[in-house]
Amino acid sequence: MRVEVLFGEVANLFGDMQNVAYLRQTLPDAEFIETAFADRPFFADNDPDLLYMGAMTESAQRRAIETLSPYKERLRALIDKGCVMLFTGNAGEVLFDRISYVTEEIETDGLGLVPLTARTDLFDRYNGKVLGALFADPEADAVGPVTGFRSQFSRWHGDNEKNAFLTVRRGMGLNEGSRLEGWREKNLICTNVIGPILPLNPKLTEHLLALAGAPVPAAHRLSALKAWEQRVIEMEDPATRF
Amino acid sequence: MKKLRFLFAMLAAKCVSLGLKVLGRNATYLPGLIAVKLAPDFIGHLKKPATLICVTGTNGKTTTSNFITSVLRSTGKRVTNNSFGSNVQAGVAAALLLNSTLTGKPKNDVAVIEVDERSSLKVYPYITPDYIVCNNIMRDSLKRNAHTEFISYILNRAFPAKTTLILNADDVICAHLAPQCEKRVYFGMDAERPEKTEGMKARDIVYCPACGGRLEAEYIRYNHIGSVKCPACGWGNPARDFTVTAIDRENGTFTVNGEDYKLVNDNVVNVYNFCGAIALLTTLGVTHEEIVKAFENAELVKTRYTAEALAGGRRLTMILSKGQNPVAVSRVFSYVSKCEGDDKCVLVMVDDKADNTNNVENTCWLYDLDYAPLADPSVGQVIFAGKRCCEHQLRCDMAGVPEEKTVFLPVVSGSVGAIDLDRFKDIFLLYDNYLLDDARKEEKALKARCEA
Repeated sequence: MRVEVLFGEVANLFGDMQNVAYLRQTLPDAEFIETAFADRPFFADNDPDLLYMGAMTESAQRRAIETLSPYKERLRALIDKGCVMLFTGNAGEVLFDRISYVTEEIETDGLGLVPLTARTDLFDRYNGKVLGALFADPEADAVGPVTGFRSQFSRWHGDNEKNAFLTVRRGMGLNEGSRLEGWREKNLICTNVIGPILPLNPKLTEHLLALAGAPVPAAHRLSALKAWEQRVIEMEDPATRF
Repeated sequence: MKKLRFLFAMLAAKCVSLGLKVLGRNATYLPGLIAVKLAPDFIGHLKKPATLICVTGTNGKTTTSNFITSVLRSTGKRVTNNSFGSNVQAGVAAALLLNSTLTGKPKNDVAVIEVDERSSLKVYPYITPDYIVCNNIMRDSLKRNAHTEFISYILNRAFPAKTTLILNADDVICAHLAPQCEKRVYFGMDAERPEKTEGMKARDIVYCPACGGRLEAEYIRYNHIGSVKCPACGWGNPARDFTVTAIDRENGTFTVNGEDYKLVNDNVVNVYNFCGAIALLTTLGVTHEEIVKAFENAELVKTRYTAEALAGGRRLTMILSKGQNPVAVSRVFSYVSKCEGDDKCVLVMVDDKADNTNNVENTCWLYDLDYAPLADPSVGQVIFAGKRCCEHQLRCDMAGVPEEKTVFLPVVSGSVGAIDLDRFKDIFLLYDNYLLDDARKEEKALKARCEA
């Protein structure tokens, strides 16, 4: 099992670095490749089983786009091959067609691998929670509710009616007018759900790892499930504000 | 018209302030809120005191401004301060309002005002402080502050060019704020250089903002505080004007630029706060003797830190640990683990009270919080009390805190009952600022248990 972590030195906001820590503890024998901005990505010449990138600042996001630009065809090939890729927070926007940074008055082309756009306003922060279920995934019932949080400057726009990651029961989807969250194409997942999503959802972690060829129990399964179950009960409670 | 609006706002706010005082309530926020609602430029119409000092930054604002205020008062100055009130725009307006006559003239010579970083854009367009002290810029509440680049973006635009900045040189993010401000004084620490980097991997600044090269660290004290340089272009820590050269824990002193001061608290975070205060005070012209004299009688505010002996040879240390702020709580965990003694019990209550009432607290910050110090062998028992106890259990598991020494309780009330008083003499109670009253109740219950 080979897991590549892209730009973990900067893509680690909002606790997202613990997604990687949780994977390391779940997969003690796996090889983890930490790719920094100056490195040639491992995926450029190899097939990782799982590719991960977490939330980052807006300037890091622009540098990530620049750094990954020479490899966009290779990334497209990996998506088509079904490589498991998880992009959390604003990391997914790197793959989008375009990002508008309205505060800084900057327009940036993304890698153009996901037909969505993002609008980032530093003075319009959205904070929220998400209770949802995997969208059009045969394992949705087995995985159960997916829980997490949102804290972002951006809103996503475009059509994800056939390619959503989650059907949102409570919370926001792509933007305030949407109940479909994120983007899913084969095993590529772009989601704005943070938390971090993997330790918060141990069954989702197991599902993704099974897709990546490692059907193993999630680390600290008992305590992770206990915390997840408590969160699900609280989020399902109609008295809980969303 | 603007003047009329200001006078109306002033009158309304003064009336509300008087009403609150009659009712025995604090007038540290609402009068200011009414004033800025009625006249958004209200602060700008007030006549500035002779010396206006603002204190900002992620951690240490209250401690630093309290020290500055206390020293200045000991020198005979009349000082306005908002440390017991709000530090957002309305709180700043309320503090300056209290210091003003009906026509807007200042009553006191000096104002020492804490300003929340995010409120800077609503405060500094209207007032130009003589000095701004900034202790550090770190990851804070992700819901409000997002990340350090966002906070820097705000401060870079907000700080007035004529203001003298007093900045932490050991924090490269802080040290390079607002280049438009030419008058800059730097403070920092040379004492107790760590031999290896410690704590969290995330440092909030990894690449040089000037050339994009990867920064190299000679040492890191915590987070990104330390000695950092870009090998490509030389960007890094500026030279310090005020340096802590020694910390003598045995004799309770620390040394800045060759002069000794009483070590009011030995947490390195507070030594930075004291040094920032000394840098400001010295720049203001307060003499070393005056500062030393004021430090002799100084102590941390009791809502933030207390240490006392309990019955049965036990000792209780209570430390404010700001929830939602991973760096602040990580520093407290690290401090506790390094305190003397090998029979410590740590009771932690840091869950957000409001966010857990008919709500689910955003727990992302717990995943930035470094639990590893709690695995230290000197810590024999760890108790987490609060609604997010299951999340803390998972985090303790992930950080390798041995299961046999942990207790997780869903409510704060009665949590001191879980402390194993037969085994542990050194008890630490860590509490969020919104849980102060709950912490006091637990303190009382613990004392009763110890005396029984």
